[in-house]
Amino acid sequence: MIQLNNIHKSFNGVKVLNDICFTFERGKTNVIIGASGSGKSVLTKCSVGLLEPDQGDVLYDGKNFTKMSIDERKEVRKEIGMLFQGSALFDSMTVEENVKFPLRMHSSMSAKEMKARVDFCLDRVDLSGVNQKYPAETSGGMQKRIGIARAIALNPKYLFCDEPNSGLDPQTAILIDNLIQEITNEFQITTIVVTHDMNSVIEIGERILFIYKGQKHWEGTNASILSTTNKELSELVFASDLMKSIRQKNS
Amino acid sequence: MGIIEQLGKYFILMGRTFQSPSKPKLYGKQIIREIDSLGLGSIGIVTIISVFMGAVITLQTASNIASALIPAYTVGFAARQSVILEFSPTIIALILAGKVGSNIASEIGTMRVSEQIDALEIMGVNSASYLIVPKIIAAVVINPFLVVWSMFIGIFGGYLVASLSSVVSVEAYIYGLQYDFKPFSITYALIKTVFFAYIITSIPSFYGYFVRGGALEVGAASTKGVVTSSIVILIVNYALTQLLLI
Repeated sequence: MIQLNNIHKSFNGVKVLNDICFTFERGKTNVIIGASGSGKSVLTKCSVGLLEPDQGDVLYDGKNFTKMSIDERKEVRKEIGMLFQGSALFDSMTVEENVKFPLRMHSSMSAKEMKARVDFCLDRVDLSGVNQKYPAETSGGMQKRIGIARAIALNPKYLFCDEPNSGLDPQTAILIDNLIQEITNEFQITTIVVTHDMNSVIEIGERILFIYKGQKHWEGTNASILSTTNKELSELVFASDLMKSIRQKNS
Repeated sequence: MGIIEQLGKYFILMGRTFQSPSKPKLYGKQIIREIDSLGLGSIGIVTIISVFMGAVITLQTASNIASALIPAYTVGFAARQSVILEFSPTIIALILAGKVGSNIASEIGTMRVSEQIDALEIMGVNSASYLIVPKIIAAVVINPFLVVWSMFIGIFGGYLVASLSSVVSVEAYIYGLQYDFKPFSITYALIKTVFFAYIITSIPSFYGYFVRGGALEVGAASTKGVVTSSIVILIVNYALTQLLLI
């Protein structure tokens, strides 16, 4: 479980996050949504310590991450997996070396054990047999799956996914969504997904946080979002004709 | 950003770079990779520049000595002193600042904009240390060898001029090379090389590490890294010469 308590963040005097409070629950897919520039990515970066909040605390299972020393944070970060928007795979390493990297850094596994773990993780994301390829030799969807394999290599307790579906075709996007949800349920991890994709929100959003102009504007579930009366949220969710027709059918 | 702020950021980054490395034993492979990429990959350009540098110094010195009172071996003496004291350590450092510096700033800058550095941080890895330390160590280890190679090739370039033209005899050139030789000249050149190696790697790393934006900004960081490290090399060169030779 990750708790955000009164998070504030400004850049050059411009308030980007204003008093955000929310709890990301364990074993659930928690989704952050909002228009571009609403502060979703900044909130995610504040949550994992890539940015320091001006005010407020981030608690990982009750432990205050914001007030931890560098070494204490390192220990928490070993339990965090993150899938980046552009996958952020290391170009100079093969797929196998990419997935093995967190193991080499933080585990005392033997070479054989590491190989077995890498194979397990790649198999888990349906990517067997690509071990010796370089990221540039794989497709966008494969890179996302390699990113997930790397993120789960150390058995994380917390999984952050920043725009996991961006740049993917609808079929692959659904595959990635299903994979994230399966992994969340299988390993009972706290998963946080930042997305624009309303299909994903409806499919996997067990808990949803809507941010509007840097503030928490709405929270709920994928069941309740379709009947929301919140004006700004409706504009975002029902922006497409497809979603509008779904709302009409529902009503 | 003001120069004081930049300096402050640079020293904070260097502080982070040299503290708490994540699994230092993993750096061995990285250092070898960097020695190959930054050092061995530069042998070709160092050889070409050095041979022509030595040849031109010999030709120019010979053509400018018109007085019969100045002995012919002065050509060899001047070529040796110029190559060892200044041309090999400083000019090669400036050339490497362009070649290696732009490579480092672009590599680290691209890693920054493609979130690879964020990925390292999320994994609990000291990204500054993991990315910059192997480059600094590799350059500090391999650059003295490159400079000694450059000295040898530069002097050989002068020897080629002496053998292939009539501006100076081979005997006079070789006598000049040996005349009043002080081994400290080599020590001085190598001390400078170590300082320059640190500058060539750490300053472009700094510019690459703090890139914000995309391809344009990576290109700008690469240029800034090369220009700044070249200027710092010239300033440090002056300071070291004052300290060690005067």
